Amino acid sequence: MHKRNQGMEFEEEEEFVESKPRYSETEKYRIFDKEFMPHIDSMYNFAFRLTNDEDDANDLVQDTYMKSFRFINSFQEGTNAKAWLFRILKNSFINDYRKKSKEPSKVDYQEVETVYNSTEDAEFESTSDLRIEAVQDMIGDEVAMALNGLPVDFRTVIILCDIEGFTYEEMAKILDIPIGTVRSRLHRARNLLKEKLRSYAKSMGYKELR
Amino acid sequence: MAECSSNVIMKEECENHEKCMKMIQAVLDGSASKEEIEHFKSNIDVCKPCFDGYQLEKSIKDCLQTKVEKKCCPQNTVDQLKAKIGIGLLLLGGFLIKLKVIQEIFLS
Repeated sequence: MHKRNQGMEFEEEEEFVESKPRYSETEKYRIFDKEFMPHIDSMYNFAFRLTNDEDDANDLVQDTYMKSFRFINSFQEGTNAKAWLFRILKNSFINDYRKKSKEPSKVDYQEVETVYNSTEDAEFESTSDLRIEAVQDMIGDEVAMALNGLPVDFRTVIILCDIEGFTYEEMAKILDIPIGTVRSRLHRARNLLKEKLRSYAKSMGYKELR
Repeated sequence: MAECSSNVIMKEECENHEKCMKMIQAVLDGSASKEEIEHFKSNIDVCKPCFDGYQLEKSIKDCLQTKVEKKCCPQNTVDQLKAKIGIGLLLLGGFLIKLKVIQEIFLS
């Protein structure tokens, strides 16, 4: 197995395997402190963008870190700790938080992608009338609002790629999907985001290109 | 962009724009293959829809990276987590052991 994969060898909580301890107690604390804790701000930001709620983000981060410590023997020291943690957080969100989410309706990946696959590409040409100047003039809150308005599954790929800077390969491992699907989902997510930004730009009084 | 001609004049239409945009996004995201990067470099200046698309995608990506607030984890959450894990106690234990060793070195 590829070295990086060794550190990401579980998928769901049920698939955690209590492997034979590799690390001593002191090593566990050292790895937790030196490799996991430096990512806590990124983890919190990801959790907040997923849940749109500070309390839920706090709970999600704490749950994720508790799991990471409990199953630390599944982590290969020196591999990509941040991606490993993000994958745990994403799975915790899907398994635990999404069920009790405050958002009224959730759409799963397949449903959203089916809708977009069945839509003519020409429909999305309208996004090209978004002006660069309008985007550049927007303040962070407006962009964040547009991002928050996306279905959580599309929001996730944009956060991972554009805000956290993960590569497609890392995203594929975090989300447990093929790289080709990462590309397609990202492309559709960006088209949706452009639609949202275009609406904001229009409401701000920017003229469209057409 | 695959159908872009090598003319200096930019073409106004792109017959394969959706496919091109996926490739352009991969280039911007640093996840494009060598072939895709080469193709991008040799065609971006001759296809207006792709050039405009590139500029727009770049500005949105920059905007997301620089303007969207990055929330920091509250210190209270960090403290609670460390207390749950017991990492504070371990660090304190390590510090006390070191202190004791130093004392013994100087006393001996």
